[in-house]
Amino acid sequence: MNLVIRTLSAAAMSLAVGGQAMAQDAYDIGALFPLSGHTAAFGEMYRSATSLAVEHINADKFLDKPLTVTFEDSQAQAQTAVVAMNKLVRVAQVPVVLTGFSAVSKAIAPLGERDEVLVINGGASSPDLAGLSPYFYNVIPLANDEVKTLLPYLAEEMGARKIALVYVDDPLGQAVVETLGEDAPKNGMELAGSFAISSSTSQFASIAARVRQTGADAVFLAYFGQQLISLAKQLRDAGVEVPFVGISTIGDPNFIADPAGEGTIYVSQKTDWGADDALTRRFVDGYREQFGKEPTPYDANYYNATMIVAKVIDELESDGLEVTGKAIRDKLAEIRSFRVVGGELEFHDDGTVTVPSQINLIENRAVRVVQ
Amino acid sequence: MLLLQLLLDGIQSGAVYALMAVGFAIVFGMTRIFHYSHGATYLIAGYGFYACTSVFGLPWYLSVLAAIVLSAGFGALVQLLVYRPVQRDAGSFFTVFVASFGVGVVVENLLAMMFGSGFLSVTSPLSRAQPIMGLYISQLGMIIVGTAPLIFLALNYFFDRTSVGLALRGLADNPDLVTVYGLSAKSLFLIALVLGSLLVVPAAVFQTITAGLTPSAGHRVMLISLAATIIGGIGSLRGAGLGGLLLGVAESLSFWRLPAGWSDAVTFLILLAFILLRPSGLLGQKVRV
Repeated sequence: MNLVIRTLSAAAMSLAVGGQAMAQDAYDIGALFPLSGHTAAFGEMYRSATSLAVEHINADKFLDKPLTVTFEDSQAQAQTAVVAMNKLVRVAQVPVVLTGFSAVSKAIAPLGERDEVLVINGGASSPDLAGLSPYFYNVIPLANDEVKTLLPYLAEEMGARKIALVYVDDPLGQAVVETLGEDAPKNGMELAGSFAISSSTSQFASIAARVRQTGADAVFLAYFGQQLISLAKQLRDAGVEVPFVGISTIGDPNFIADPAGEGTIYVSQKTDWGADDALTRRFVDGYREQFGKEPTPYDANYYNATMIVAKVIDELESDGLEVTGKAIRDKLAEIRSFRVVGGELEFHDDGTVTVPSQINLIENRAVRVVQ
Repeated sequence: MLLLQLLLDGIQSGAVYALMAVGFAIVFGMTRIFHYSHGATYLIAGYGFYACTSVFGLPWYLSVLAAIVLSAGFGALVQLLVYRPVQRDAGSFFTVFVASFGVGVVVENLLAMMFGSGFLSVTSPLSRAQPIMGLYISQLGMIIVGTAPLIFLALNYFFDRTSVGLALRGLADNPDLVTVYGLSAKSLFLIALVLGSLLVVPAAVFQTITAGLTPSAGHRVMLISLAATIIGGIGSLRGAGLGGLLLGVAESLSFWRLPAGWSDAVTFLILLAFILLRPSGLLGQKVRV
């Protein structure tokens, strides 16, 4: 028995030492994405873009050590995310964690601050992610800013006067309600009706009856994930013919590819895949070649987030500083402005970001930039 | 007009819920097995229909036939490979329930691996509603509202006039007595599982076209089926059907005055009200068809 215990102990020690050695041979960062569950399609998208960025960074060898990523599954749920975040911080000891989804971001932000681990969000756009923690940064514009960008287009280009809103009853949805209520009248429009839906609702025909009754010129869908497609399909089936509009949550590839998404107008950060700057070309061509499809703004966000982390680590190496979560966070706050896919990105003190935006139209199951 | 539209939508949802619930009530009422994998049967029928139409390009009637075969086969397999061995070893009600729950989870994950965890649906022009005198009605909605009563009439005939139907009612009342009369309880259990599984097929096909499918949809099917069975009165198939209809109509009418997010709460409020005020449900405890 003693022999067995000694053998197992030796094996465990060698594994631990081996693990540390491996960690020291590379810069390991964490990624907490929904890799299973309702929103796994988003997680796979985030992972693809992050992996592509790591591939490009390591191919360029501009860091002293290769960059690696430890992926953990958040299932887009706060409780699961907290457990996975603790694992990333305690076991993998990563200095940076990439993440998405509002509930997850809000759950892990205090852990990031406590352990001085920088958390970067590229997928959630709930406005309360602003100023969440000194260690929490967004590379995606938040929903209230996106709504304000979209409204003038709806009023001036589409001639909309009445808007109906269908939203998931969470912080993101609440923010859209508030912003639409305040800003729609400033643009000569009226919020004719707002309908909150729980995330478990699956029958939307009755909601369609209420939406039709408002006589709206456009229906704002503040929704995401697979239910977005079901909602849009059922609204269309139930006779809602006016255009759907929304923010970047609409840019779900599954929604774009579904007939229910046809004709939808939505705002997202600027993603000119035809731009000829070297960074955009490398990202777009690499993405198309590796995954055989067009990248989305979310892909660009996680590619950018990973590139930003690498650039900051590069700066720390040049300064001869140790690469820790605190050092990365301080250097990022110092640099502030980064050249990324889509243009110039600038961070603010509250962790929000200014990026160029564009208005998109889903047409023939593809995205066309209309403004 | 809005109220009428909501009522119409509610009847459509109610017809679907009634079919789901009666399938569950047959298995639960006749065999006393808490057939949690009823939700998995729904998924197998729905994904089977989707695969046949959208992946293999089969015509709709062959796809429906495939869904029928798949769900009946699944019901039979669950009875033969899971419930029967567990019950043979004197498995308790809860042991069988846990086994059924396990089957449901395995099926959900297998389907997620095969088809992905995203939303899938079958596109059909029949699901597009057309305005008729100010009310929006789809052909598919009319089909399901017309089909459900026909299925219930056929069930009525089956349980009242056929020897197998009468034997199943006997099984629900007194399983020991059934064997005294020389009938095979094992065969009747199998028939109950297959019949219960078949009833979920129209609901699954309708929902796959109108609302779409995800691997997690089975849980809601179980919730609706269980709530409708309790509201209707455990053991009463008519009660389960009425319970399903009541839930669908109440859920839809709740949109008239309540925020849309209340639809699930309405289901539970009705369930709670019945548990507190009329625990025997709408139509009592005995199996009457």
